[in-house]
Amino acid sequence: MGVDDVLLDDKAKRMRDLLSSFYSPDPTSPSTTTPNASSRFATLDTINTTTFDADQYMNLLVQKSNLEGLLQRHVDMAAEIKNLDTDLQMLVYENYNKFVSATDAIKRMKNNIVGMETNMEQLLEKIMSVQSRSDGVNTSLFEKREHIEKLHRTRNLLRKVQFIYDLPARLAKCIKSEAYADAVKYYIGAMPIFKIYGDSSFQDCKRASEEAVATIIKALQGKVFSDSESIQARAEAVMLLKQLDFLVNNLKVQLFEKLEQFLVDLHLEFKEIRNASSDLGGISVSISSSAHEASIHEFAEAVRAYQVIFPDSEQQLFRLAKDLATKHFEATKQQIKKQLSSADLVAMLRVIWTDVLLMDEVLPEAGLRDFTFEAAHDAIKQYVAGRFSHLLLDISGTLVKVHDNQKGVIEEECPLQAALEISKKALVQGSMDALLDTRRLLDENLEVLSRLTDLIIEWVREGFQDFFRNLNDQFLMLSGKKYSANQDLTFGEGTQGDKVLPELVLLLAQLSVFIEQNAITRITEEIFSFSGGGTRGYETSPAFIPAEICRIFRSAGEELLQHYISLKTQKILIVLKKRFTTPNWVKHKEPREVHMFVDLLLQELDTILNEVKQILPEGLHPKHRRTDSNGSATSSRSNPLRDDRLVRSNTQKARSQLLESHLAKLFKQKMEIFTKVEHAQESVITTIIKLFLKSLQEFVRLQTFNRSGFQQIQLDIHFLKTTLKHTAEDEAAIAFLLDEVTVAAAERCLDPIPLEQAILDRLTQAKLAKNSEQSSTSY
Amino acid sequence: MQGGSNGIGYSLKYQARCIADVKADTDHTSFLTGTLSLKEENEVHLIRISSTGTELICEGLFSHPNEIWDLASCPFDQRIFSTVFSSGETYGAAIWQIPELYGQLNSPQLERIASLDAHSSKIKCTLWWPTGRHDKLVSIDEQNLFLWSFDTSKKNAQVQSQESAGVLHSLSGGAWDPHDYNALALTSESSVQLWDLRTMKKTNSIDHPHVRNLDYNVKRKYMLVTAEDESGIHIWDLRMLKFPVLDLPGHTHWTWTVKCNPEYEDLILSAGTDSAVNLWLASPPSGDKPTSESFDSPKSVDPLLNSYTDYEDSVYGLAWSCREPWIFASLSYDGRVVVESTKPHLPRK
Repeated sequence: MGVDDVLLDDKAKRMRDLLSSFYSPDPTSPSTTTPNASSRFATLDTINTTTFDADQYMNLLVQKSNLEGLLQRHVDMAAEIKNLDTDLQMLVYENYNKFVSATDAIKRMKNNIVGMETNMEQLLEKIMSVQSRSDGVNTSLFEKREHIEKLHRTRNLLRKVQFIYDLPARLAKCIKSEAYADAVKYYIGAMPIFKIYGDSSFQDCKRASEEAVATIIKALQGKVFSDSESIQARAEAVMLLKQLDFLVNNLKVQLFEKLEQFLVDLHLEFKEIRNASSDLGGISVSISSSAHEASIHEFAEAVRAYQVIFPDSEQQLFRLAKDLATKHFEATKQQIKKQLSSADLVAMLRVIWTDVLLMDEVLPEAGLRDFTFEAAHDAIKQYVAGRFSHLLLDISGTLVKVHDNQKGVIEEECPLQAALEISKKALVQGSMDALLDTRRLLDENLEVLSRLTDLIIEWVREGFQDFFRNLNDQFLMLSGKKYSANQDLTFGEGTQGDKVLPELVLLLAQLSVFIEQNAITRITEEIFSFSGGGTRGYETSPAFIPAEICRIFRSAGEELLQHYISLKTQKILIVLKKRFTTPNWVKHKEPREVHMFVDLLLQELDTILNEVKQILPEGLHPKHRRTDSNGSATSSRSNPLRDDRLVRSNTQKARSQLLESHLAKLFKQKMEIFTKVEHAQESVITTIIKLFLKSLQEFVRLQTFNRSGFQQIQLDIHFLKTTLKHTAEDEAAIAFLLDEVTVAAAERCLDPIPLEQAILDRLTQAKLAKNSEQSSTSY
Repeated sequence: MQGGSNGIGYSLKYQARCIADVKADTDHTSFLTGTLSLKEENEVHLIRISSTGTELICEGLFSHPNEIWDLASCPFDQRIFSTVFSSGETYGAAIWQIPELYGQLNSPQLERIASLDAHSSKIKCTLWWPTGRHDKLVSIDEQNLFLWSFDTSKKNAQVQSQESAGVLHSLSGGAWDPHDYNALALTSESSVQLWDLRTMKKTNSIDHPHVRNLDYNVKRKYMLVTAEDESGIHIWDLRMLKFPVLDLPGHTHWTWTVKCNPEYEDLILSAGTDSAVNLWLASPPSGDKPTSESFDSPKSVDPLLNSYTDYEDSVYGLAWSCREPWIFASLSYDGRVVVESTKPHLPRK
């Protein structure tokens, strides 16, 4: 089959080629042009090409094929040639047939066309007549039609006029039936006419309808403003108003102002609540707060309505809502400034929070919650800070009062002790109150507060830390130790310029000790008890470090005590200075009695003793105190008591002989005079006496005495020895120092001959007697 | 704080109050001390640190007619010094010269080359022009300030000018400003007075009572250190006299004297009647730094570098060595000179 196909195809192809060559415009030209080419590419296939060269083909064939092949080829070719001939014949016949039929058709056409021309002429005629007739009809009917059209137009116009004349009535009807939407539609329909003819023909009509519209607008406005109408209705009303070209913005502003006004009113009310709550207590709070709640509810509704009515007004409303919160917090801050209790604060926060929740429902996108949190954050922080500054003020107030009392010489039994108690109480009570207050904040399970719990705890701790630090500063400032960098501090103006009272310093010192040993632990316990559930542990809290505070106050206590002592010794020093610089010691007269400066000193000591006894505790082990003072230094100097007795006996014996006292000094061990001061009566007194005696010694060393001068000193010292024996704790050191003074005086004496022991005793007794007599007469 | 005695000791025969560095001696580190004895013959000791630095050698021993209350060495001639003396009711001040041949230690007489005898009340101290060869000398008594012109070759001293500070202010001492040679600070009963020598007028005063001693910071201009009976040591900025720029606790009893180190900035030595010498490193906040910084850091470093407590009696005399500025000499009332090196206590730089 395939072979047949191929053969068939070959045949068909050749046919086509032949035909194309037949019809081609110039069949000879290709054959003539390429004889060389054909000779060159001679194959057996060239037979069908135009460039076929028979001789070449022959040669090729002969060369390539054997005889049998050639014969076969010959046969094939002969057959082919025959076939081609028949095909050619067939083609010629077919062409001829076609030509014949074409000529026939042309002939027939010629015959048909001859009759057509006359038909066409007839048709033209007929059409011409139709046209003329239709023209006639047109002209005859034109006038009538014109008329009809005119009539129609007039009728339309009349209808419109009728509508306009009817408009007021219709509007009235609409108003009556409250079909404002229809009314507005009608009016808007009539609008263009009014615009054109309103001033001339339809003046009355226009006026009437405008009046009607005005009532409509009014009604609509009323509707918009009335809270009883449904929100939908109000929104519609606003839409209608907008259609009426009414200035809706105005309306909007008005409505908004109304809301704002509401807010202002609300706050007036709110203040009343505050007042009521402070005046009447809990019940009224609940009543008025429910009223407040209602009003807030109303406000929220109004806002909701407004939002629906003016959908593009959210920003404004946000602002409004924030205003509400801000105002709330402003009020709160005002109250905080006035030092309100935490219960009140909580109540206020609660009110605020309910309000905010309400508002948040209405305006969820306003971010009111976050805003409130921030504001509450600030407010509570301020509250805590305020609480502590109040506490500080309270305490300093107490101290100042103490100070003033001291100045105003108010005679009480134990003014200092009382003052100390008062200030202790003020401190502890104040701190506890502050803690309780803040604790109350935490106990409330208000969402705002619970979110801030950790922060509040932190603030409280910070607050305490700062409070104590400030307190310390205040103490130092009050005592005049610290030159405050900012002198214009609210407090301390009265005290800064004045001389610092030693009593106050002592008081502060003791207060510092109290804080260190007592108050801090209590407060710490309290703090950590209420923040026990907090996230921060005891160690990790950086805000409140009791140890640091303790350290600060310990050093402050020591410093203040030291300051007290130095203030006192300064006073004594002045007495001493006067004593030693005024007389001419070289020309001193023989001693008759103990010099009066000793009285002054003892007096001073008495006042100190009095002050100290009021405030400072008694030492626990007065006799063992010395060993633990100044650590190892004393213990290395062994047995000072025995040494001292030795010294005393030595000096007493050798008073006339300086050399021996020198020798004694060489052999005796150095006395530890200056030991650490402790917060105990004895310690302070002893320290002051020691300092005084040392100063006495130094003053003596700066002078030169004659015999009488020396004897005077000797007498004074002897007297002091008997009187100081009972007051001071460290007897040995005191005795040593007293001896030192005498020795110093002897050294600085040109003629050191001491008084007889008997004379000394006599004069001392006389002085004692005189003193007791004086004291008895004074009572 | 252990007062371990690394120091070298030297004992005078009698009690003593004053010691001075011999500034003009550039070859040796030496000090002059004078004794204070009412009844015995007083002495002036010239002490030198041995070349090994382990011993104090007496280079000269001279008798002095009266007990010596103050002693100052001439800054340009190592053989010249001035003393303030008194005994009983007599008092005086004089400039002395150590005789040429003082090799023999048999108490040769000092040559009194000038006496400052214009005073009418008890003389407190003499001050030499701070550095260099200059003929000016100041002496202070309880009420007056004298400026002397001193001629070494002619061996006499003349009062150049004199001014009374008033009867009420009993002057007790003073110091010459090493930065401004015309300025002088005097201590009085109730205040520290700042004087100008050109006009001989008080220019300013620090109203701070009980100042016992004062010294200018040699390295820092405008810095004045004062020592008080009670309140320890204060450092003042002469441009801001209202409040001290820095307080140091001082001593447990009176702080008798303060001395600023001539070489190391802020190194201060103080001696007190509590038988101790304290070495301080006090850096006052300098002007360009905000003062608030000092408030921010409450935990400042302890300014007390060391406390030398190995003394038997009150320490009145104190002197830095100019030649070896880490060395100081201290003199306690019992006549014991101790020379110590501060080197182990100085902060590493």
